[in-house]
Amino acid sequence: MIHLDNVSWRRGKKDSAPVLAHLSFMVPQGGFRWLLGPSGAGKSSLLSLLHLENLPTDGQMTILGKTVTQEEKRAALVRLRQRIGMVHQDYQLMPDLSVADNVALPLRLQNRPEDEIQDEVHAILKWVGLGSRTDVPANRLSGGEQQRTAIARAIIHRPGLILADEPTNALEESQSCRLLDMFAELSAMGTTVVVATHNESLVRRLERPFLFLEHGRLVDDGGEQP
Amino acid sequence: MTRPFSGRKDGLSLSEALPDRSLFMLVAMMGFLAALALAGASGARALSARWSGGAAQLLTIQVPEADTPLPTPNDTSTTRVQAVLADLASLPDGAQVHRLTPPELARLLEPWLGETDNTALPLPAIIRVRLPPDTSVPDTLEQALNAHVPGTIVEHNARWGERLRALANSLLACAGLALLSVGGIATMITGLATRTGLATRKDIIKTLHGLGASDSYIAGRFAWRTATLGFGGGLSGTLAACLPLLLLLQMAAPFASTPLATTERLLPVDWQALANTIPSDMALALALLPFVAAFICWFTTQVMVRLWLLRLP
Ligand SMILES: Nc1ncnc2c1ncn2[C@@H]1O[C@H](COP(=O)(O)OP(=O)(O)OP(=O)(O)O)[C@@H](O)[C@H]1O
Ligand SMILES: [Mg+2]
Repeated sequence: MIHLDNVSWRRGKKDSAPVLAHLSFMVPQGGFRWLLGPSGAGKSSLLSLLHLENLPTDGQMTILGKTVTQEEKRAALVRLRQRIGMVHQDYQLMPDLSVADNVALPLRLQNRPEDEIQDEVHAILKWVGLGSRTDVPANRLSGGEQQRTAIARAIIHRPGLILADEPTNALEESQSCRLLDMFAELSAMGTTVVVATHNESLVRRLERPFLFLEHGRLVDDGGEQP
Repeated sequence: MTRPFSGRKDGLSLSEALPDRSLFMLVAMMGFLAALALAGASGARALSARWSGGAAQLLTIQVPEADTPLPTPNDTSTTRVQAVLADLASLPDGAQVHRLTPPELARLLEPWLGETDNTALPLPAIIRVRLPPDTSVPDTLEQALNAHVPGTIVEHNARWGERLRALANSLLACAGLALLSVGGIATMITGLATRTGLATRKDIIKTLHGLGASDSYIAGRFAWRTATLGFGGGLSGTLAACLPLLLLLQMAAPFASTPLATTERLLPVDWQALANTIPSDMALALALLPFVAAFICWFTTQVMVRLWLLRLP
């Protein structure tokens, strides 16, 4: 569940113009939202806020049922982050690590048993079509392969919230469709999903409520009032 | 059968991120210096203890023309040395008074006079007085003895002992300061190395942080790495310092309480015997040195990384 109440966020100084201003919306548990808006509107900034890479400068934000403030204990934020899967616009893979090691990271940070990790990693890599690329270092992957690795890493630990920033821009049409189907399925199973995209045909394929950002303000809140 | 992939990796690759060799070498040099300073401190402490203990409680009294009768009013035939010995009976209880026998005297003088027959020389009588601990003789002793037996010389070792002890104590202080400086420099070096590591791994740390890695995980990874390097460096430095230390120890052996059998040779042959002469406190301090180096590195890195991580929420 996501709930933002009059949330603003500035980058750096207090008197700088807010990147995100007065956002109020809510996404129920298991809800799916498109995050739309022109380039520079603040989509990535909003996702990094939801991912707790930044904390709101003003207002109240609740993620996965936990209200997060500037004074939040670091340990609590760590636990919360482990329950979120994020696909960054620039993938943010570990360049020196193999595909498999990259995807294994969220499980390893949770100290899961190694044989269990191996099974999960191979299953998910097969699903994203990287079953034969497990040992290739991430810095030798094509853009699409990197994106699929990032997607696998974001969902392998079955997070309660999935955030995806342009997760299909490097994918083929058929791969995009499969990904979309999976997101829909995960959402149906109770995972909250927010996907930022420019791809209109993708949005048309899966008709779900959307959040529309412009200049850091919410123009359309997806219909669900907080 | 799937091939197990490469262990528990997290992409920090600290063996590449931290400037290994420079940190290792610098800590090794610091370890070397610290080992020498420690040895100096240990030596100075031993000297100080020695001079404040036994040596300071020794008194040497010379009586020239010892066997000449003392002209006394009632004209009893007392020799000068007998008169002095009688006077010394008034020293504090427990004082041991011993007049050196001719063979002892001969041995004492041998380095200067050789093994000749010295009986022809007019040697003074030497009286050695060992005072019980925490007692002293009145400053007027020499005056009093002289008034009775003119020409008597009282050589009070304590006077020299005081000076030597002050010297030893200042050496000890210097060694302590040297150790502190070395520790400070090691801290700074580790701090710089950690900063470099953090700078080159900034993006990866941010990603790990985003994936839910705790501060203690990230700081622990860095600290473990620098602590390992610090331990290796400290150990190498200490081992490298051992050779010069053993040579120094051998040279100092004649001044130590347990003299070495092979003092004539410069290069040690009997390593076992030599090793036995290493004071136990020094051996302990040297053995602890690599661990202290590792701890300094670990602690500095923990603090640095945790402070750095505070910029991420
Ligand atoms: N590192 C940065 N430093 C300063 N300003 C930034 C930085 N990153 C983004 N911005 C600014 O913040 C605003 C929001 O950027 P953001 O990346 O959130 O937009 P976006 O909607 O994701 O755009 P796109 O669709 O192109 O990815 C933009 O005005 C951008 O110029
Ligand atoms: Mg963006």
